[in-house]
Amino acid sequence: MKKSKFNIVGKPVIRQDGLEKVTGQAKFADDINYPNQLYGVMVRVPVAHAKIRSIDYSAIENHPALTTICDANDIPGAKKVGPIKQDQPIFCYQKIVTPGDVVAMLVGESEEELLRLRELVNVEYEPLPVLTDPRKALEPDAPLIHPELGSNLVIHHPLRKGDVEKGFAESDYILEQTYTTPFIEHAYIEPEAVIAIPREGNKGVHIVGSIQNPYTTRKVVAAVLGWPLAKVRIQQAELGGSFGGKDDIMNILSARAAVAALKTGRPVKIRYRREESIQESYKRHAYYMHYKVGFTREGKIKAMKIDIIADGGAYSSMTPFVTWRTVVQATGPYEIENVWTDVRGVYTNNPYAGAMRGFGSPQPIFAQESIMDEIAVQLGMTPDEIRRINGFRSGSITATGQKLEKHDVNVLTVLETAVRETDFARRWRENQQQTKKRLDLAALEEAAANPGPFILHKEDFLEPEEVLRKGIGLAVSFRGTSLGAEGVDAVAAYLSLQQDGSAYLLSGLAENGQGMRTTYSIIAAEVLGLRPEDIYYLDLDTGYVGDSGPTVASRATLMGGGATKVAAETLRQRLEKVLRRHWNLPETTNFVFADRTVYPENQPDRKIAFAELCNLAYWEGVNLATIGWYSGPKVHWDESVGQGPAYFTYVYGCQVAEVTVNLSTGEVYVERVVAVHDPGTVINLLGAQGQVYGGVTQGAGYGLWEEISVDQGFIRELNFDQYLIPTSKDIGEIVPIFVEGEERYGAWGAKSLGEPTLELTAAAIANAVRNATGRRFHHLPLNLEEILLGRKLYPTSKRGSV
Amino acid sequence: MKEISIHFTVNGKKVSLNVPSRKRLLDVLREDLGLTGTKEGCDVGECGACTVVMNGRAVHSCLVLAAQADGAEILTVEGLAQNGELYPLQKNFLEYGAVQCGFCIPGMLMSSYALIQENPHPGEEEIKEAIAGNLCRCTGYKQIIQAVEATVKR
Amino acid sequence: MIPEIEYLRPGNLQEALQMLSEYGETARPIAGGTDILPGFHINSRRFRDIKTLVDISNLPEITAIREANGGVYIGGAVTFTDIVKHPLIREKYPMLADAAAQIGSVQIRNRATLAGNFVNNAPCADSVPPLLVYDARVTVRSLRGERHQPLGEFLLKPYRTQLQPDEMVTEVFLPPLPAGFRGEFYKLGRRRGVAISRITLAVLVKMDQRVIEDIRIASGAVTPIGARFPELEAQARGKTAEADFLKELAIQLGEQILQRTGLRWSSAYKLPVVQQVFYQLLRRICQ
Repeated sequence: MKKSKFNIVGKPVIRQDGLEKVTGQAKFADDINYPNQLYGVMVRVPVAHAKIRSIDYSAIENHPALTTICDANDIPGAKKVGPIKQDQPIFCYQKIVTPGDVVAMLVGESEEELLRLRELVNVEYEPLPVLTDPRKALEPDAPLIHPELGSNLVIHHPLRKGDVEKGFAESDYILEQTYTTPFIEHAYIEPEAVIAIPREGNKGVHIVGSIQNPYTTRKVVAAVLGWPLAKVRIQQAELGGSFGGKDDIMNILSARAAVAALKTGRPVKIRYRREESIQESYKRHAYYMHYKVGFTREGKIKAMKIDIIADGGAYSSMTPFVTWRTVVQATGPYEIENVWTDVRGVYTNNPYAGAMRGFGSPQPIFAQESIMDEIAVQLGMTPDEIRRINGFRSGSITATGQKLEKHDVNVLTVLETAVRETDFARRWRENQQQTKKRLDLAALEEAAANPGPFILHKEDFLEPEEVLRKGIGLAVSFRGTSLGAEGVDAVAAYLSLQQDGSAYLLSGLAENGQGMRTTYSIIAAEVLGLRPEDIYYLDLDTGYVGDSGPTVASRATLMGGGATKVAAETLRQRLEKVLRRHWNLPETTNFVFADRTVYPENQPDRKIAFAELCNLAYWEGVNLATIGWYSGPKVHWDESVGQGPAYFTYVYGCQVAEVTVNLSTGEVYVERVVAVHDPGTVINLLGAQGQVYGGVTQGAGYGLWEEISVDQGFIRELNFDQYLIPTSKDIGEIVPIFVEGEERYGAWGAKSLGEPTLELTAAAIANAVRNATGRRFHHLPLNLEEILLGRKLYPTSKRGSV
Repeated sequence: MKEISIHFTVNGKKVSLNVPSRKRLLDVLREDLGLTGTKEGCDVGECGACTVVMNGRAVHSCLVLAAQADGAEILTVEGLAQNGELYPLQKNFLEYGAVQCGFCIPGMLMSSYALIQENPHPGEEEIKEAIAGNLCRCTGYKQIIQAVEATVKR
Repeated sequence: MIPEIEYLRPGNLQEALQMLSEYGETARPIAGGTDILPGFHINSRRFRDIKTLVDISNLPEITAIREANGGVYIGGAVTFTDIVKHPLIREKYPMLADAAAQIGSVQIRNRATLAGNFVNNAPCADSVPPLLVYDARVTVRSLRGERHQPLGEFLLKPYRTQLQPDEMVTEVFLPPLPAGFRGEFYKLGRRRGVAISRITLAVLVKMDQRVIEDIRIASGAVTPIGARFPELEAQARGKTAEADFLKELAIQLGEQILQRTGLRWSSAYKLPVVQQVFYQLLRRICQ
């Protein structure tokens, strides 16, 4: 680590909100209740695609447990919302387009009574043909999900660089392959909850909830109410995990709660149980990816042609942006002269897909890193060799025509570090030479004769010593930091020093559990020579600081860290000025701020306590509060050809997975993952390691178990008995290693880490499984059936049907 | 509504109350006693967020009817710290970075507490087994395991 | 959602039986509640008619493990944690302790009971295969009297047993196991932690040098309910445990499972794999 120049930065620091979280005092949204509070319970229709004819409440209208009913007729403003296209109704009134859709909300004092009453609402509807295969969405006879849009195409991102046909002609070999990845549930352990409180007089509405992006929620609620933004005040409760998942769904729930609160004049709470959460909330997109790569005998990639269909489900949500990151990064961290990429996001009647940790990168990384290994195998090279030949270096040109410069382009550095740490090439070669007799059920099925494919022949059995096989695999990535050409990229941080040297800090970004408050406190403390615990981080409320955009895209440390540093430096300069005056020092005097004291650089013995200095400034009438503002440099983008400097800087990572595969059952156990990341400067070592452990574990879940499967639009896995996320027993050792590259942006060059940690793991595991089994698997997750059969099997009966 | 009267000890305090017989221990803790440290995450005994210690054993409070806790001794996360002093597990959860969003943490602490009460020197595999019924989506469990290990080593 | 129910807490077994007798079909004993409460939550058909729960979790008559008649009696409300911890069960019936230790999570095992597991009789009930190979017998009581029955007869079909509404399983008897048997419980899940079984096997074998003198075989999650394979056992007795024969036996197991279960959505995976892992298991224990 590069570290001596810092007092606190880069060291392990205990998190600011830890104490209340280990004592049970932290208030998550459902822990908060208001006097006179009502509950809202959703009414859904068990159909994936239908035209709504009528909604009949007569069976419950006069029930004493019912305070009111809210549906589309109660919405004064925008009836449909969405971050990019406004296609998602708060309450459906024309059509049902996916089973999670809500037509009305019952409001009353007893949630249980409402849950019973909702079964009695009678919705008449006309079923429509259901579209669940996104590959068919653009066919001429496909049912239109949103007829008013005229097409099921949400977005098409083309990218054209060089001449791919020429590139293929110059290639000695061409590989072509299709890969798929499933819908994924965020699986935050805290289900959604929100309360809307009508405010007295003309002050508007106050909303407290498990909200990831309070400013976005405010926009949606204001639009739905037809109100100015300033009348809507959003406060984030302690957030029980999000991973990109508490955005759209929370905006919509907040809007429903607000509508009901204003209609009844009482606080209204909505809280979901797990099944409802999984049913209605959005997912990570399922992808269908076709890759064609041309390369020379020497291993140089000459051309890549990529065709990707992203299943956006019923609503557009973040699909245009998610797929945009895909188009930028789909060729991986490799310099390729000729690229032709098409990424299309389409509507279906499946659950809708939006932001989730990774945001359009885990899918193409699985495909691109799989095919890179196949190139290596074909050429008799090791996976690290083929990446060394093609990997970005300083000055490389990306697929979007961007020159990588002015920061450490560390693709090969993270690769070499991981390879060295794991003795990769030697072990990979050794494993390649193992005998790999496998219970190949697909082959058995093909050769099926009497008595059927399910009964083995003696030669099919594996001997005990043939059962377990080791594999090692790696994956590398580059990732554009923050929003890029997606949107406005600027963040505010409010810092206020008190007379006694303590401080308030608040940024416009949100603590989603990742440890952002701690990171910012460290940055402010480093600049001012304080300890992180001297900084009191305030609760996020849209009333206090400026709109800083969403807390997404692993931008919190980079952007908010930058803003915090600006604020702290501004106040430091004011204090320095006071001290120069007080001690009659020349303008050129530099000061050291450390250990809650301040002294001139050349007079270490002449110290003043930080608190005393603040007091001095206070009595001189100096403004000790400021708002730091950090905005990213401009980026631009040519949509028609997918060219331009997409992001202002990038981070790099390499993960090596070591697995054991049971060739007779298809079980894969991840023994060890070495995760080497260049996040720029590490601010909090404990937090950074936590991001790696958590991201790798989620990535392993993506690789091996997790899948939201859909049966005619209906989700099969509605709770944690069926949607399997990793437990404490399911993953072996994880070794985080940080390579801290030089960077101009952010606080001392601190960039991004949250998403890079997740996006590589599944690909590395898939490559390790290939190394262990000698077989390439193209469809995530690599579950038991996939490994032995090469396909998934789904139950025919529904949960709870027995 | 069918009601039942229950008497039990929660975090060392005797509690008596009448509750509908359909209420779960989880509901009584959160709604009637205001002990919202115990979380509701799945209602089917899969996520472990609602874990409390009942008569010395970790249980899902979503799978215990409140009536079944009659006469029991219940410990929730609110009862771990004594006289303002954190229980060593809590200190180590902080020190080892075991907490991120924190929603699973009360359940994690209670499962770990029950383990240590029964087996003061568990190995890594025993710790993993003890918290296998507590899902965490943030941490990958590593720093939680480290925190429990540190607690039993001292 | 938990429906409106009446909760009754009998002070002793006799009272419990009276309550069951009085309330009949709409009453159900509850011990750990780890099947009933999730069943309520998802509004499962099997639990919709319940109006009354009779809490048997603390009845002294059915919460003990005792040694008698050369074997072990396990009370109907004994939890899996109690089983895992019990020295006598660990020593004499290790496959049951093994299976118990792999059921659900610690929290589940602290509440879930052995009798509850097989009375619920899910196809994947992990305790059933070991109980079957140990020739477990169940004691069923009601006001009408007491009956004893081999577990294999007591279990009828998925989620169905011979238990009548007024009856309760008060004890499970594990008879003494003749000397020389050794065995293994095998469980395959999708995950290592808290896994629902895809396949379970319990095999007890008594070897005389290389010859299989006696063998008991049971499976779970691959047949409609956990089951023994008497034909297979008969066929194996007296045979030499050569790889070739063990493969034959594994193929036979596959055929019998196919016969009993028919084709299911999962057959393409489970059927070949159960043969494979059964062969592996035989190779391990027939040394």
